[in-house]
Amino acid sequence: MATLPLSTTWIARTRQRFWRLAPGDREPVVLRHSRIYILPTRRGFAVIATLVIMLLTSMNYALSLGYAMTFIAAGMVAAALLATFRNLAGIASSPVAAGEAFAGGEVAFTLSLASGNRERTGIVVAPSDGVPEVIDLPRDATRPVVLTVPASRRGRRPLGRVTLWSNFPLGLWRGWAYVHFPLTACIYPAPEPAPPPLPTSPLGIDPQRAARAADAELGGLRDYERGDPHNRIAWKAVARGGGWYTKQFEGGAGGGALDLDWFELPSAIDQELRLSRLTAWVLAAERETRAFALRLPGTELAHGQGAGHRRAALTALASFGQPTTT
Amino acid sequence: MNETKIGAPLARTQLGALAALLLCAQMPLWAHIDRWIAVAGTALIVARLVLPFDRKNLPNLRRWLLPGLALAAAIGIKADYGYFIARDPCVAFLYILLGIKFLEARGARDGALLVCLALFLALTQFFYAQTILAALAAMPALLATGVALGVLRTPAGAAEPWRPHLRATARLLLQGVPIAALLFVLFPRLAAPLWGSPLESGARTGLSESMSPGSISDLSLSDEVAFRVEFASPLPPPSQRYWRGPVFSRFDGAIWRPLYKLRGGQYVPSAGRPADYTVTMEPHGKLWLFALEHPTGPPRAPNPDAPVGVPTEVLAAVTYDQQLLARAPVTQAVRYSVRSATVGTFAAVTNDAADNLQLPHGNPRTIEFARDLRDRSASDRAYIAAVLDWFRTESFVYTLSPDILDRDPVDGFLFDTHRGFCEHFAGAFTLLMRAAGIPARVVTGYQGGEMNPTGEYMIVRQSDAHAWAEALLDGKWQRVDPTAAVAPSRIERGIGAALPAGERVPYLARVDMTWLKSLSLHWDSINYHWQRGFVGFNLERQRDFLREIGLKGAPPWRLVAVLAAAAFVWGIAVLGFSRLRPSRIDAEVALWRTACRRLARAGLERRPDEGPLAYADRAAARWPAVAALITSIAERYALLRYGPAAGRRAEIIAQLRASVGALPPSRALRAMP
Repeated sequence: MATLPLSTTWIARTRQRFWRLAPGDREPVVLRHSRIYILPTRRGFAVIATLVIMLLTSMNYALSLGYAMTFIAAGMVAAALLATFRNLAGIASSPVAAGEAFAGGEVAFTLSLASGNRERTGIVVAPSDGVPEVIDLPRDATRPVVLTVPASRRGRRPLGRVTLWSNFPLGLWRGWAYVHFPLTACIYPAPEPAPPPLPTSPLGIDPQRAARAADAELGGLRDYERGDPHNRIAWKAVARGGGWYTKQFEGGAGGGALDLDWFELPSAIDQELRLSRLTAWVLAAERETRAFALRLPGTELAHGQGAGHRRAALTALASFGQPTTT
Repeated sequence: MNETKIGAPLARTQLGALAALLLCAQMPLWAHIDRWIAVAGTALIVARLVLPFDRKNLPNLRRWLLPGLALAAAIGIKADYGYFIARDPCVAFLYILLGIKFLEARGARDGALLVCLALFLALTQFFYAQTILAALAAMPALLATGVALGVLRTPAGAAEPWRPHLRATARLLLQGVPIAALLFVLFPRLAAPLWGSPLESGARTGLSESMSPGSISDLSLSDEVAFRVEFASPLPPPSQRYWRGPVFSRFDGAIWRPLYKLRGGQYVPSAGRPADYTVTMEPHGKLWLFALEHPTGPPRAPNPDAPVGVPTEVLAAVTYDQQLLARAPVTQAVRYSVRSATVGTFAAVTNDAADNLQLPHGNPRTIEFARDLRDRSASDRAYIAAVLDWFRTESFVYTLSPDILDRDPVDGFLFDTHRGFCEHFAGAFTLLMRAAGIPARVVTGYQGGEMNPTGEYMIVRQSDAHAWAEALLDGKWQRVDPTAAVAPSRIERGIGAALPAGERVPYLARVDMTWLKSLSLHWDSINYHWQRGFVGFNLERQRDFLREIGLKGAPPWRLVAVLAAAAFVWGIAVLGFSRLRPSRIDAEVALWRTACRRLARAGLERRPDEGPLAYADRAAARWPAVAALITSIAERYALLRYGPAAGRRAEIIAQLRASVGALPPSRALRAMP
């Protein structure tokens, strides 16, 4: 991840301090008075206006007890302000994980909130877009908070600024604090909905060769699907009357190795569709447990298989054409 | 954005909390507003809880029934009070409106509106009473306000129990008390109302602006306190405790009224053994300030510091017939100090004789009797003595329930029924004087007063209301109390002693000191201090207080500064000091951060995902000269943070501190190859 160029001019620093528009939070952030803002809610303004009317009435009619009642209620409102502050102050939040998703879906980010030495009530963790999460924390507890935000475009998707807020205890004051962690998820291209079948490899599908592959080991059985090669049907199981299964192999190319090549695609289709198709093929190859190689302009992945390979391929597709960041 | 969505219907708990708040706000008003309004407003709230108003098929009912109800309530109140745009009908309307609004309340927003309305309604009870009980009656409403707000805060308020909210609200209220007390003391009080005149005292008991048969005997049935008196001088004997109020010179044969125009007068010169005392008067909505006959100077604002006699502010003026009148109607409790010469006479002014000889038509037997008796008397004084003697020897009965007389009531009283209360005796006596050519008038006020054994002050109640007469003899007004001739114990021992057995006497006016009366006097003592210290905290008292703490006459900004400073101290005290300090972090974290900051400033920032050891490797590669130092810092930090450092923490922290101290400053690092 790149070191973010934090501007150092006074104005920029102040702006960052107030609004936290840049992802500048590194350590676990402990909310303190310098970060917490509090303003009345609409309801708070209404109650304060009521108190003003009560005060005017007490003044006009010289009601000593009216003054007393107004001021006691005002004291409660003021104490609620402090309670709102106290409910937020001391919460420690830290980034935990960024999920992965395909464009057009939703991606989950995980933060953790630690309550510190007091109970926390009604803490809302709101991403700048997406669904806010509400959480209560007992004393001395740490809880993960999963934020689901829309992932509209492929590429790197930062979580952005997160607002922690609460209007506990009376809903008259809203206290909030911004945290902005450099947490970024990788959004893969959306797979093409109905992709053409997997390309045939230059070697052609050679079932015998694949079946005979020295390093192929029987990995297990799966339900038979129409179209599975005959030589991979678990005939013994069929003979025993145990049902139809297809043998799966690991370590070797399930159905023969594939070459997924950007340059082999018809030149008429545009870049995003190419990426979508390649994504769909990567997923299909993985489903069929076939090794594949991926070739993109500037990137080349050798034949391989498994979760790591799949992620590497999808990541390469996601970040295609985007400024590389490590 | 943070409010509950308007669409979300109020949950059961939320409705319950709101209903509790509304009832708490309405309850103290039950004693002060008309019964049908009290019942209707409360019934609407109960109706909402009981009836199925949340069914979706009732929107039309909401749309038409509720404005209809509001209109009906407004019309009913208008019919009841005779007017609408005034304080009392508006309180009544707000009372009902709470019920109507609650009936249709749907979302959290309606809930918040109801909370605001209820909070205000809870204040309105103080229009009518500012007793200890009224103050206590406001507490449930304040608590319920907090609970309702707490339960309304979340849409999930449904599942929440209300009890924790009650505890939290109580805590908030207690925490707010210092701020409340400070505001109460420092918030500037007004000398005059902001708008209109708060003169709507309505049904306050007290003397009235005219005297007809029955007006004082009605009052005598009331135990209410008229005023309380603290004496700085020795107590005057009961026969001198005449508290002068309205004076009546015009008589139409049935009703006594004051003169059309009251001119200013002179205070009497100090004579005899003057009485110094301070009166704390309950509001009565009229101008009269009661004082012992006769004040020697204007009433002053009492100042506990200054000895009586230091002239302060004049509260009122005296009229030529020796009434003390305030400058504005007494609508809140007032306190004033007076010095009175306890003499029964004072000099007349020019028009007095002419003003007080008028005789109405009617009552021919009285007039004839008076002229006859005067002719047989040697002098005016002898005539007065003869009349009083006649009262004494004839079988006059002092009673609260005289017969009602329509025509020539004085004739009927003097010659037929012989049964009357003090207003009958005073009125008849005055008429007898006038018929004989002696200028005379009726004086009303209070006579007597009872010492409170606990409070060291005197209570004068409405049951002490009295009427007596005044005759002009030799250019001086002379007090004559015909009641004293008929029922001397009325003057000496009060109305309870004077009335015949079997009459309905207010129990506090009775002579026998039962335990109930004793308890009641203790309660009165508490109430008196309450009134003085708390309810009576007005402009003057505030000035005195500010003078005491050295803020008298301070510019407003100084008061604001005091308030702000106090609020700051309060905030810190409530939060606890630890909250404002940086949260306690472990020593090794602070040291590690120092080291990281130094390296970062030198140009090598730690990546957020980089562990300490990996970062140290990178740093060691960048600065080979201090590689060993950097590595040792990272290793010790990792050991303290993640490793088995138990038992050796202090030692390792000391080493870490030494290593971080040895790390060159960032400028030196930057200069390194």
